[in-house]
Amino acid sequence: MEIATYKNDVWGQEVLLGVSWELLWLVIAAAFVIIALHAVYEAFRRRGERPSSDGPRVKRHGAVDRVFHWVMAVSVLVLLVTGVLPIIGIEFAWLTIHWIAGLVLTAAVLFHIVRSLFWQDLKSMWISPSDLREPFDDSVKPGKYSVAQKAMHATVSILSLLVIGSGLVLFAMIDTPWWERTNSISEATLGWMFFLHGLSTLALIAVTALHVYFGLRPEKLFYTRSMIKGWISEAELDAHHDRSRWSPEDSASAGPAAD
Amino acid sequence: MASYDVMPDVGLFQPATVDDALRLADRFLDEGWLLGGGQDTYGWLKDRAKNPKALIDISHIDELRGIRKTDNGVDIGAATTLREIIGDASIGRDYSLLVDAARRVASPQIRNVGTLGGNLVQDTRCWYYRRGLACYRAGGNICYADGPQAMNREHSVFGASRCVAVSPSDTATALVALDATMTIRSADSSRTLPAERFFVGPATHITRMTALEPGEMLTAVTIPPTWAGKRFYFEKVADRNVWDFALVSIAAAMSLDGDAVADARLVCGGVACTPHRLKGVERAVRGKTLSDETADAVAPLATKGAKPLNYNHFKLPLIENLVRRALRG
Repeated sequence: MEIATYKNDVWGQEVLLGVSWELLWLVIAAAFVIIALHAVYEAFRRRGERPSSDGPRVKRHGAVDRVFHWVMAVSVLVLLVTGVLPIIGIEFAWLTIHWIAGLVLTAAVLFHIVRSLFWQDLKSMWISPSDLREPFDDSVKPGKYSVAQKAMHATVSILSLLVIGSGLVLFAMIDTPWWERTNSISEATLGWMFFLHGLSTLALIAVTALHVYFGLRPEKLFYTRSMIKGWISEAELDAHHDRSRWSPEDSASAGPAAD
Repeated sequence: MASYDVMPDVGLFQPATVDDALRLADRFLDEGWLLGGGQDTYGWLKDRAKNPKALIDISHIDELRGIRKTDNGVDIGAATTLREIIGDASIGRDYSLLVDAARRVASPQIRNVGTLGGNLVQDTRCWYYRRGLACYRAGGNICYADGPQAMNREHSVFGASRCVAVSPSDTATALVALDATMTIRSADSSRTLPAERFFVGPATHITRMTALEPGEMLTAVTIPPTWAGKRFYFEKVADRNVWDFALVSIAAAMSLDGDAVADARLVCGGVACTPHRLKGVERAVRGKTLSDETADAVAPLATKGAKPLNYNHFKLPLIENLVRRALRG
């Protein structure tokens, strides 16, 4: 199975055409296998009682961050659906929806970058060497984000920037309300852009599948709830996080206000 | 690009029934090629730009041939030749638009063997694509006809989406104007589509020009009685009057209420990847009398939204002038 496909350009020279979409099925199968193995592992793993969601609440995600997350989620899903369905033979007029969703994603990511650089605790999302003990030592609890969440964030960040960067170059190739298409990008450059766009899309499919799976796992569902409602309970905080590494701004009484 | 005088090594099947043909189409899918009159096919094979494994010759299937009057109008089998359509008295009487369009297809020899179905589903004539270059339409990632120095005199002015090829079919414009319905069959199903939706642009299907899926076959075209005996106009402008594809063509069907236009269909060929309905003109002309004044007033609407390429700006006045000629009193 090839990673890339090639073609002859107008001069007869072999150039990159893009990613090999045969990989799509490999990626889907790999994501399915990982999810299935994890589900089986979790089914047999002994866990303590799940902390209650009742009682005092603390704020985990502000409204702005939650809106950003869901805008990004919807735009990524729309991009994946509109980008991939035509490739597997379900054809429709996808391009306009695709680039509009791409612009929404770009705007959301830019907003998030600026916000996190100047108004948020950037370090809370960085992976430090001490975080690496976390998966292997149950006594080590994370701060606001677990190492798995940080890794997911880093992966999605890299993939998003790749897919946006390559997508913006390809965007120049189509008509928009702001400019008329250019067709003066070299075939070799185009091939690389299609390759990067396709490869990051494939990776995003796997990452999205894993993200959705973990978001729906019973023991992780409180994180998803916090991404909807903004809060987790103090019991959940104590069970899964180290208060010395993360002190939520709002405590018990802030519950309803976090909504 | 190499061109060959001999046929490539390709299997030939000559089914006697539609069911057999559909079974073969289902068996070979993308690797099968439905062969009618062969006027589009043989060029592809000669140039080795398309290399099907199997030709499924449907030209001898009786079910697919002939013109029948039904309660829903007129059914024309997809393998009916253009010559047969031109010579049919009832089509000539009620739907002369189709006859006029068919009469302008290529040359007498080609019309003798060329079929209605073949004329409708033929591939675009963009020479970059037909030369075998890996353009968008051929599964690549660029349109060679859309470059700064590309030769795109014959290409689209409407509806380009990455690819700028145009539909070459003359009968397609007439059938869209006549609100025809296409019957599409596969080995296990049958469906119908309005002609307007049968032709699809590159925004939806960049590698094909019709809604036909692999394994499907256009079996018949039904023209409803809606426009029977109405006022028609067809004109095709080509570099050569014989044996050439339209630079721009127009097919118009109009029903008149006294002197006023009650309803109209105006469809342009050679300007988009699909037959291009001039809906703005259709709306504007309703209720107006056919005259030079009306024609002059509404003609500019025909080119609204057009985006000409480097070498085909000439198509804009051509479209407007054809609209004028269709709407003169």
